[in-house]
Amino acid sequence: MIVLKVATRLLAIVGKELIEVARRPGALFSLVLGPFLIMALFGLGYNNSGLSFRTVIVVPPGSGLSTQAADYQSFVAPGITLVGVQTDVETARLALREQTVDVVIIAPTDLEANFTAGRQSTIRVEYDIVSPVKANYALILAQQLGYGVNQQIIERAAAKGVSEAGSLGVTSAIPPAVIAAPTIADPHNLAPIDPSLISFFGPAVLALILQHLAVTLTALSLVRERHTGVFDVLRVSPVSAIEIVLGKVVAFAVLGGAVAAVILGLLVSAFHVPFLGDVGLVWTTIGLVLAASLGLGLLISVVSDSERQAVQLALLILLASVFFSGFVIDATQFLPAVQVVGDLLPVTHGIRLLQDLMLRGATTESWRLGVLLAIALVTLATTWLLLRRGLSARA
Amino acid sequence: MTEATPVQAPQPVIVLQQVGRQYADVVALHDVSLTVPPGSLLGIIGPSGAGKTTAVRILTGGLQATSGMARVLGDDPQRFGRRTQERIGYMPQLFSLYPDLTAGENVDFVASMFGMLFARRRQRVRAVLELVELWPERGRRASDLSGGMQRRLELACALVHDPAVLFLDEPTAGLDPILRRTIWTELHRLRDSGRTIVLTTQYVGEAEECDAVALISAGRLVALAPPEDLRRSATGGDVLEIETASLVDGETLTSLPMVRSVDQRSVRHLFVTVDDAGTALPAVIAAIEASGGEVTSSREFRPSFDDIFAILVARHRAELGGSEDGRYPVSSTTTADGGAA
Repeated sequence: MIVLKVATRLLAIVGKELIEVARRPGALFSLVLGPFLIMALFGLGYNNSGLSFRTVIVVPPGSGLSTQAADYQSFVAPGITLVGVQTDVETARLALREQTVDVVIIAPTDLEANFTAGRQSTIRVEYDIVSPVKANYALILAQQLGYGVNQQIIERAAAKGVSEAGSLGVTSAIPPAVIAAPTIADPHNLAPIDPSLISFFGPAVLALILQHLAVTLTALSLVRERHTGVFDVLRVSPVSAIEIVLGKVVAFAVLGGAVAAVILGLLVSAFHVPFLGDVGLVWTTIGLVLAASLGLGLLISVVSDSERQAVQLALLILLASVFFSGFVIDATQFLPAVQVVGDLLPVTHGIRLLQDLMLRGATTESWRLGVLLAIALVTLATTWLLLRRGLSARA
Repeated sequence: MTEATPVQAPQPVIVLQQVGRQYADVVALHDVSLTVPPGSLLGIIGPSGAGKTTAVRILTGGLQATSGMARVLGDDPQRFGRRTQERIGYMPQLFSLYPDLTAGENVDFVASMFGMLFARRRQRVRAVLELVELWPERGRRASDLSGGMQRRLELACALVHDPAVLFLDEPTAGLDPILRRTIWTELHRLRDSGRTIVLTTQYVGEAEECDAVALISAGRLVALAPPEDLRRSATGGDVLEIETASLVDGETLTSLPMVRSVDQRSVRHLFVTVDDAGTALPAVIAAIEASGGEVTSSREFRPSFDDIFAILVARHRAELGGSEDGRYPVSSTTTADGGAA
């Protein structure tokens, strides 16, 4: 009889939660479809053409270098759009300040003479960029430019040497291009799929949406009941804290599972995201991400004083997830102490596991499943304890 | 401390012994002692902020008493067992249901929380919704119901598991007089079937519907007695209101054995407190006429419960050091629906 009564209470809580969500479909759509559509738009709209800097080359008078732009096309690396060659440095700098150009490359005045004399020349690269990403990119381009120019100088010098040696009857079997660049890179990506933005971000989007959905819905669900008279009625009834927690977890796990199935289906069928891994393992990961996220959401709801605070905390979780989970920036780029913040979020492990399982077919980091389980157990147990205290009389 | 003894209490269902509740430096309830026998209806009445809801919340386990002892069905409300909880129904003062659920779903949910299985639940949900006249509205969301309907819905939720003890915090607030009559009829029926009911009400006139009334003021129990006893306690007996055509000296009546006191409001207007109005009235009229007066009107004056409670509260305050005299007002009224005017 007791089992029947407990089952009755659990089913009632599950049903109540699902009915409430169903009665407000707008909230569910905005929680699921909103982020999904934004990220789909991002994936489809991002053309991945890379950054391109409008560049001016300054050839100082008397340097003996060509002032024809066509002569410098061989130095132009990807990411540089050569917009002109000038002889006046100040005019080029003015254009930089007015942001009509992004990069100014100032050629050395006496390149050949310095080289012949055994001295290094300096190619000055100036840019006026506040974005750290763009500034780093400009730095890399400047270094690439230096390597390219050096390679061409060595190649010319080698050709000159070979020519002079030939005139003296000495021949060399090594072409000047090989002397200048003895090796060239031949990259091969051994990953089982051809990388694309949609493929890479698809599993991450799935993990992020599931966490956001679970955290937001549970955080609001319980905090609302706590701060209305509903808790007074529940307190008098025989329902226990564990039944309330279990009922909500089951309800939102069912809902999250359905949402996961829809998103997974869309990713695979509409966006052609590869699904190379074991279906069971992928669903285990999804289940654990949901359980850990529900625990996190319920914990937020029992520590929040109001619906507003619960929403704010849920948004903070989302913000932390975007920054520290590896969704945008690889987690290894953070200091170890900061990485811990990411490790406390279910989405961090969900992203890595789902990307591995779906895009590689397997994961070398299955320990993350254990971390997800631990997050779920700790948060749910803490929620239960706090809720049990809340259901007892106010001291 | 004010302590009162209930009418009958061989095996009380509810016991409060010197219960107090303090919030920081504010005393919400002070040394309240009372017992409620099974199958009775106790009304807790008092001004807003008097401590009525605090008392109910202590009894339902929602609030911990800072002193004293509380028992409901023999259990400490802080440690209600599931069996005890299943025998208690509670209707909070504020709307406490799920606005997105329909009326029927809300009642069904609460029934489920009390562990009622499907077949009985379906039967009871219908029964209580019909009782509060919400069966036709069972498919409407709670948020779409009027304030009065929401109160009725909450009452249905409190009744759905057929509890042995009911705590109702202002169950008739916001209801129209006809529906309030229906609710009271049902509460009497429940009481007659052995249920014990404790309720608070802002309608002082509803005190007459209760078997006993606990009057609370400023956290203190001012009085606890059946309504009629309270009336007599407030006035000191039955009250006759006499008007005469000419000047009359009320002092001449004090010599009559059945007269307890005389309150002369003007030269031709008297309130005479007697043991029994029916037997005393002819003697009082005869005494006035014997002294040369001519009675133009005479009737038994039944002060409204608003007046009675005003008198009792004023008297209690005076006992505590206040200055109010505790006399009943001349021109007090009671509204048609029983609410305080």
